[in-house]
Amino acid sequence: MAYTPQYGPGTSVVAENRRRQMNPNVELDKVRDVTDEDVVLVLGHRAPGSAYPTAHPPLAEQQEPDCPIRKIVEPTDGAKAGDRVRYIQFVDSMYNGPSQPYQRTYAECYRFRGIDPGTLSGRQIVECRERDLESYSKWLIETEMFEPALTSIRGATVHGHSLRLAEDGLMFDMLQRCIIGDEGVVTYVKDQIGEPLDRAVAVGKPLDDAWVKAHSTIFHSLVGLAYRDDVEYIEYIQRIHSLRTKYGFMPVEE
Amino acid sequence: MAKIERSQKLFLDALKEKFQGQDPESVKTTFYNFNGVRQSPRKREFMAAAKGIEMERGISMYDPEHCHLGGMPMGQRQLMTYEVSNTGVFVEGDDLHFVNNAAMQQMWDDIRRTVVVGMDLAHATLQKRLGKEVTPETINEYLHILNHAMPGAAVVQEHMVETHPGLVDDCYVKVFTGDDAMADDIEPQFLINIDKLFTSEQAEVLKAQVGKSMYQAIHIPTIVSRTCDGGTTSRWSAMQIGMSFIAAYRMCAGEAAVADLSFAAKHAGVSQMASILPARRARGPNEPGGIKFGVFSDIIQANRKYPNDPARASLEVVGAGTMLFDQIWLGSYMSGGVGFTQYATAAYTDNILDEYTYYGMDYLKDKYGFDYSNPDPAATITPTQEIVNDLATEVNLNAMEQYEQYPTMMEDHFGGSQRAGVMAAACGLTCSIGTGNSNAGLNGWYLSMLMHKEGWSRLGFFGYDLQDQCGSANSLSMEPDRGLMGELRGPNYPNYAMNVGHQGEYAAIVGGAHYGRGDAFCFDPLVKICFADPSLTFDFSEPRREFAKGAIREFKPAGERSLIIPAR
Repeated sequence: MAYTPQYGPGTSVVAENRRRQMNPNVELDKVRDVTDEDVVLVLGHRAPGSAYPTAHPPLAEQQEPDCPIRKIVEPTDGAKAGDRVRYIQFVDSMYNGPSQPYQRTYAECYRFRGIDPGTLSGRQIVECRERDLESYSKWLIETEMFEPALTSIRGATVHGHSLRLAEDGLMFDMLQRCIIGDEGVVTYVKDQIGEPLDRAVAVGKPLDDAWVKAHSTIFHSLVGLAYRDDVEYIEYIQRIHSLRTKYGFMPVEE
Repeated sequence: MAKIERSQKLFLDALKEKFQGQDPESVKTTFYNFNGVRQSPRKREFMAAAKGIEMERGISMYDPEHCHLGGMPMGQRQLMTYEVSNTGVFVEGDDLHFVNNAAMQQMWDDIRRTVVVGMDLAHATLQKRLGKEVTPETINEYLHILNHAMPGAAVVQEHMVETHPGLVDDCYVKVFTGDDAMADDIEPQFLINIDKLFTSEQAEVLKAQVGKSMYQAIHIPTIVSRTCDGGTTSRWSAMQIGMSFIAAYRMCAGEAAVADLSFAAKHAGVSQMASILPARRARGPNEPGGIKFGVFSDIIQANRKYPNDPARASLEVVGAGTMLFDQIWLGSYMSGGVGFTQYATAAYTDNILDEYTYYGMDYLKDKYGFDYSNPDPAATITPTQEIVNDLATEVNLNAMEQYEQYPTMMEDHFGGSQRAGVMAAACGLTCSIGTGNSNAGLNGWYLSMLMHKEGWSRLGFFGYDLQDQCGSANSLSMEPDRGLMGELRGPNYPNYAMNVGHQGEYAAIVGGAHYGRGDAFCFDPLVKICFADPSLTFDFSEPRREFAKGAIREFKPAGERSLIIPAR
């Protein structure tokens, strides 16, 4: 029987947006352009143009053990080259940031290979080989997974996802890694760990409220869609909980 | 589920005080203009104190404007004050770190330094083996001697060193019994008077549980249990008990019967407050990780003082439990971190959990006709899965909506772990109070966690991926190493052992099941009676009020050392 992922329940726009982000067969809208160098600058792991530091020799140059799994799994480009493992970490505002921590993890697991995501309430990190990371990061920044004011790239000191927004609409960041300029364009003046950049990286203008609301993946009764209005979603969670309870209890079926 | 109207918002006053001049329902505010850490009087006090210390010792110390993120100090947003829930007392967050709060320290000191020791075995030994007469008069004399000896004074031998009474003034022993006639014959100074301290219904049940037996409620000196550990308590106590029996009953110090008395005092007749922990957590008895949730709910006395408000009683357990289990046990004993305070205080500040819990109480009344202010086993609701799902769903949805409708409250509980613990606690308490079943309460907790995670696509820190994702499956299980009734679970229970923001709430959920029924005790009547004693330094019927007193530096703890150190 062929398995067809359902990605999640729900009849609301929020539920549908979640499924779109997760489903690798859906091509998400590209909303902005950033250069490869821009990505490298914001990540802050290596200087633009420098060679990738390696953790081991390229796979082709080292003796690989006779392992059936290695024959099945094609290494990513970064793994083949022996890149070190580095990260990108996102902070998503609860005021309709277009992606949210678990949503990011689920989407990345469906769409990327060779990754190690970590999910918390205020941040979501994904780690992988460096050149793979740069490619994934570009996609995560350029598509509708990212909104300049409500999504932020922060390696440390991530505080802000649940705070009110600043008067200019930006999510709070005590390090103020990005600022909004006179033209209304959001630019990163520090890399994700907070080191000042030699040149600013522009990530575009914040999108309007209508776009933000239409692309939201978080239920929110004040600025978006109330959770209780998606009855199918609620019932689905109750069903999962009831089944887990019942079979954890290990009853004898009568 | 169906939303009910509740116009009272218990958290609003706190939000207005914390965010003065701001609309608590606005989504936008101003940042980066608060003058960093200097906006906080407490941080300024710390900085000034550190300067003096540095001058004196010649080693650098607290320097937040240089050391925090290479010169980017905290305080780019407003450093909030907090109201200790239901007290009206606003404090700085720093004042709720246990190092800065003498009441918090004393609460744990008072638990760790306590054991309950039965007298029946000792009396049987004296009467049957030695033929000694035991009467109320001899018991009173024994207690007089024991209250001399327990703080560290000699009773038998010549030329002994002793402790200064001024350093150990919190150490004493009282007794209690279910035998009214015997209780009447005990000097009032030595008696925990069950009839006076509990409601008549509670007293009747407790006395029936104790029966004609007599127990000693023993509190060794705070300074001893601090210098040593919880495992010392029964040893210190047993040593003084043995010596006092020798003195009171004129026994031979070396006769074999003394061993029986010692064995009874150290092992056979002793109730520890906490059981010993396995080697990987490496603590003796009477350390926080071994306290069963049922026992902790008995230690806290709010249901004795507020028998008709099981929500209030449970919220006091939350406050005490998160302080002990999150701030002290997991935060310092197990992890060594300083930041755990921030997790714990969310559950007992700004009346937020209080509001969510009373919403649950109103929902119980509105939908199921359960009047929480009239606790009665016969009135509790049969805990079916359908009802637990309904209660937890509605209480959780309401809590999420409150956070959404009041962005300042979301900012108050700025971390997902804070919100997760608070929302799940409200759900668990509603289920346990309404059904009188602790496991039903735990089950409601886990539905809250799943619902929270799906609604906001986030939960708490990594640890929430562990116990809260699999908790549904163990919440009703009774299988060894997988499940247990709530009363017998504890901080060392599998899956509960390493996760901040849970254990205090679990303890309250267990307590709530009994408070909702109007039970006199949750698990151990001896513990319930022992901590009702008004002579204890910490008032266990009002832990949150005590913490507030500690925060504003009005709580007077035990463990004084100024008698033996130079004046400052």
